[in-house]
This record gives sequence, structure tokens and C-alpha cells, in this order.
Amino acid sequence: MKKNGSLYTLLKGLLLENPVFVLVLGTCPTLAMTKDLISALGMGLAATAVLICSNIVISILGKFIPDSVRIPCYIVVIAGFVTLVQMLIHAYVPDVYEMLGVFLPLITVNCIILGRAEMFAAKNNVGKSALDGLGMGLGFTLALLSIAIIREPFGAGTFAGMDIPFLKDHTIAFLAQAPGGFLVYGIMIAVVYKLTHGKAPYKKEFSCDNCPSAALCNKSACKAKEEN
Amino acid sequence: MSKHIKSIAVLTVICAVVSLLLAATHHITAPIIEQQENAKTNEALLVVYPDGGDFEQVDISKYELPSTITEAFKSENGGYAIKVTVSGYQPNMVILCGIDKDGVVTGATCISSGETLGKEKTYGENFVGKSAKDYDSVDTIANATYTTQGYKNAIKDALNAAVILGGGTADLRSEEEILADNLNTALPQANGEFETVLLLESLENIDKVYTALNKQGFVFVSSENFVATNTSGKVLGETDATLKETVENAASKILEWEKNKIDLTKFDTMPQAVKEAYKNSDGNFTFILHGAGYGINGGDKYHPASGKPIVIKVVASKSGKIISCITLEQSETANIGSACGDEKFYSQFNGKTENNYSQIDAISGATITTNGYVTAIGDVFSAIKILKGVS
Repeated sequence: MKKNGSLYTLLKGLLLENPVFVLVLGTCPTLAMTKDLISALGMGLAATAVLICSNIVISILGKFIPDSVRIPCYIVVIAGFVTLVQMLIHAYVPDVYEMLGVFLPLITVNCIILGRAEMFAAKNNVGKSALDGLGMGLGFTLALLSIAIIREPFGAGTFAGMDIPFLKDHTIAFLAQAPGGFLVYGIMIAVVYKLTHGKAPYKKEFSCDNCPSAALCNKSACKAKEEN
Repeated sequence: MSKHIKSIAVLTVICAVVSLLLAATHHITAPIIEQQENAKTNEALLVVYPDGGDFEQVDISKYELPSTITEAFKSENGGYAIKVTVSGYQPNMVILCGIDKDGVVTGATCISSGETLGKEKTYGENFVGKSAKDYDSVDTIANATYTTQGYKNAIKDALNAAVILGGGTADLRSEEEILADNLNTALPQANGEFETVLLLESLENIDKVYTALNKQGFVFVSSENFVATNTSGKVLGETDATLKETVENAASKILEWEKNKIDLTKFDTMPQAVKEAYKNSDGNFTFILHGAGYGINGGDKYHPASGKPIVIKVVASKSGKIISCITLEQSETANIGSACGDEKFYSQFNGKTENNYSQIDAISGATITTNGYVTAIGDVFSAIKILKGVS
């Protein structure tokens, strides 16, 4: 698969550059929304919608936004989209709105969205950015679902809200709580690392060039590190 | 410099465009969202007011309502759904009550509470069809006196609020305030300080008698009428003839009791429970005892004991045999200790003597009440020994 091909851009988010398991972004909503499958799915799809829109807009605006104000600009765009999505969900699918609760407005500060705006959308064209948004969004959704599919049946004894006969009476309450979420999360990261043979290209993504503070520090921190 | 200006300009433009987009979306979605929220509230209100149709929130700050009312909604049918916050066993028990235009409760439910039983959720159903006249007759929840009382207070306040919201006037005074006002009107000389007179026997057509603490006279309550007399039992002011006769008969009875009363301060060894003693014309003694039941020795850290004793009247012969025993007043726990007010319990003491008075069936679940009662009865026998020989 070509590293620059559209297919790779779309699919890399699912596993190789999975935002949750490889880039370790969006940890907070991951822990909060993986107690059951339905809210994991809702959160994932809402974040995907915002991610695609914000990636498209930011890749268009990328050329016009001066470096010094790019983070505030991204945040305004993202917050705008989140509020938009929130209003639309509230108006047309109120049930989902109630389920997502406070985590919906919190998509604004979901690191995946800002992270992709900064790492990818700002440097790539509209089409690729949209594909990246879709791929990363699906990767996020997939990650949430894969954690939820372990936590819900064993932690609460249900599957998407339906009772599971035997497990209902033998729940592991620990899994339904935040520490249990962390545990499953950690195990999943290990599994993904094994699957990708540790070849996930995250080192490149986190280089000085991609650091939001690069312009301010003039890579002095990296130089100091190298000298040591 | 131009770089800074460009940054500011770009950020401003982005903010402006995003704001415009949000404003446009809001313009489209706001009415839909509002409609949904209203439908949700309406649905909740329909639970307590099934025939209510559409509701409209009332601005309660425009009315002088009981302070417990937190929200009120007017139904298109003229009734109201009213949200009341009262204290039950725990503070902040929120009750939603529907009242139709005739002042009849259409439903009540507990929206949120910290009550311990969980029965408060369904208890409200018992009030359906009740109005201001009979809401108080709804049965108490066993073992949940405070929850029940909180509920009844809430229903009462909601009923009053509905009257006021409908443009009428309601008496917002509590029962104590109403009583104090009535007493004061009947006998202003007493300066509002009264004490209940304990009735040794029930008086014909008289419900209650109060005496002024400053010895200015009595007030007799006869089916809602408050009639004042002076200390020698003559009715003060104008009253209709039958009522005057009733009251003066009652007053003469009370004065006769006063005459037979034994001054207990003369006996410093008189047992604690004996509060009053009378020497009757037939030679028997009548005692008024205060038993220390749950009201004195009970209570818990959240709800201190009421401090109210069980008031018992005992008639006993000179030879130390109980002729009759009756509970005059008690405020023990409803449905448990309150059984000490039942004839089944107190009639057990009839005919008992010092040797066998404690051989009675205790009230199940109310050890403190039973013990307090029996101890008080025991004091009768020591009191008789002390009083013997006194003419």
C-alpha cells in the first residue's frame, strides 16, 4: 500500500495510526464513554462528523491562517462545529443528545480533532484531509467499541443494553469503573502494539515539526535533548 | 506590524463567520428544541394531571404563595400542576401535585427525595380525588411518620397555592397560628398565653378548654366556637343561649374539679409521674400521670424525641386498686407506640393492684412506650400510700 495513497490515508486511522491506541489521543472520552456500546457508538460518530468537517475547513483555511494564531483559529472552528452538531443532535435526535450528555460539548477539547487539524489537515489538501478525518473518526469509533465490547458484557452484564443471562449475575464491577477502563485500555494498547509489530509511525508524527510549540521554542528543547 | 494585523484580522473573520453559522443554526433548531423541552415537561405534568392538556408555566413571583412552592403550571383546563419542596425524613423532598379547577387532587408523585423507604413514589396516588376537606384523612405510611407528614404538608400547600393562583384567597396560617388567633380574639386579657386544661371526663358538646396563664379566665371550644368565661365560670360577652348554658355547665364541672384537686407541692416525696391528684366525693383518687414513653426516652440523632409525655388518667380506690385507666393524650410513633392510646391496651390495668399491675401484654415493637406506661402506673400505688389519711 502506498504511503501517500488515498486508501492508506483512509485506513491508517483504523489500526496503524489509530488515534486512541497508537497516538494515545482522546483518552478522557475514551474512558468515559466505553461503559456501554450504544454511547460508545454515539460518541464515536459525533466525533467523526466533527472531525471530517473541521479537517475540511482547516485544510481550506490552512493557507490563510498565520502561524501565530493558528491554534485559536482551529479551536474556534472546532468549537463552532461541535456546537453546530450539538444543536442539530438536540433538535433532531434528542435521545442521543441525552445519552451523550456533557461529553458532547467536550468534543471541542477532544485532542484527536485538534491533533489531526495540526498534524494533517493544515498541511494537506481538502480531499485527503476529509479522508483522514473519516479514517481517524472511524478509528476512534472502532477503538471505543473494542473497549466497550469488553467492559459492557463483563462489567454490567449487558450487550448494547440487553441482559446477558449468565454474566448479568456475575458482573465484574471494577470494569464498569474508571480504573477498569484504564486496565482494558492499557491491554488494548499492548495488543495493537503487538499487531503492528511496533511499526506504527508515531515517532515521525511527534517530531519537533509537529509540536504546537515549535515556532515558539525554535527547536531549542530538541537540540538540548540531542546534546545530552 | 502588518503580520500582527493580519493575525487579528484572520481570527476576527473566522470568529465572525463561525458566529454567523451558529446563529443561523440556532435560528432553525431553537424552536424545535423548545418544542421538545415543552413536550417533555408536559409529559411529566400529565402524569399528575392526566386531563390537563397543554400546560403553561406560571410566574409564581407575582403571587403570595406558600414558601414551599417552587414551580407552577397552569393547565388549559383551568387546573394547576404545582411543584412543592418540603422536608420529609430528609430535606428536599420534591412533590409534583396536579389539582383540577374544582380544587380536587388529580395526582401526586414524588420527583426526587432522600427518603429511606421508597414508598413515597407511589404514596401520592392515595391523594387522588381528595380536596382541601379530606386530604388529611389519607392513611399514614407505616414506619414513615415524617415522610407522610411531609407529603401532607406538600399537598396542603399545593391546594392553597391552587386557590391563590386561581385568584382566590387561602388561609396560609398554620393550625397553631389559627388557634392562637382564635383564643386571642375570645379572651384578649390573657395576652395570648394559654394552657390546655386537662379534661378528667369528657364535657358535653365541649371539644377543648384553655385557661389563661395569668388567671383571667377560660376559653371553651364548642364545635369551632370559641367562648370565653371569667374565673368563676360566667360567660363573657354576648352568646346564644344554648351555647352559653353548655359552656357554663362545663365551667362549673371544671371548677368542681379544681376544688377537689390536691396540692401536691405539700408532698415532697410524691413520685415523678404523678402530675395531678384529685380526691373524689366518693373517696376514690383520680390521678393524672405523665408516662415517659418514646416521646421522652426515644428519638434518634436525626429526630430528637418530641418531649411529649403520655398523659394517663387513673381512678384508684383508697385501698390501692385501679378502678379505671385511660390514655388521655399520646404522641407516640404512629402505628407502633400509638397503640397505648387503644382501649385494648389501657383497659388491661383495670382492677390491677400493686402486686400484679405489671402483668399485662406489652405493645409489640414499642418497649420504650410500654415501659414508660407501666412505670407511671406503678407510681399510682406509692402516691396512694402517701395521700392516705389526707382528707
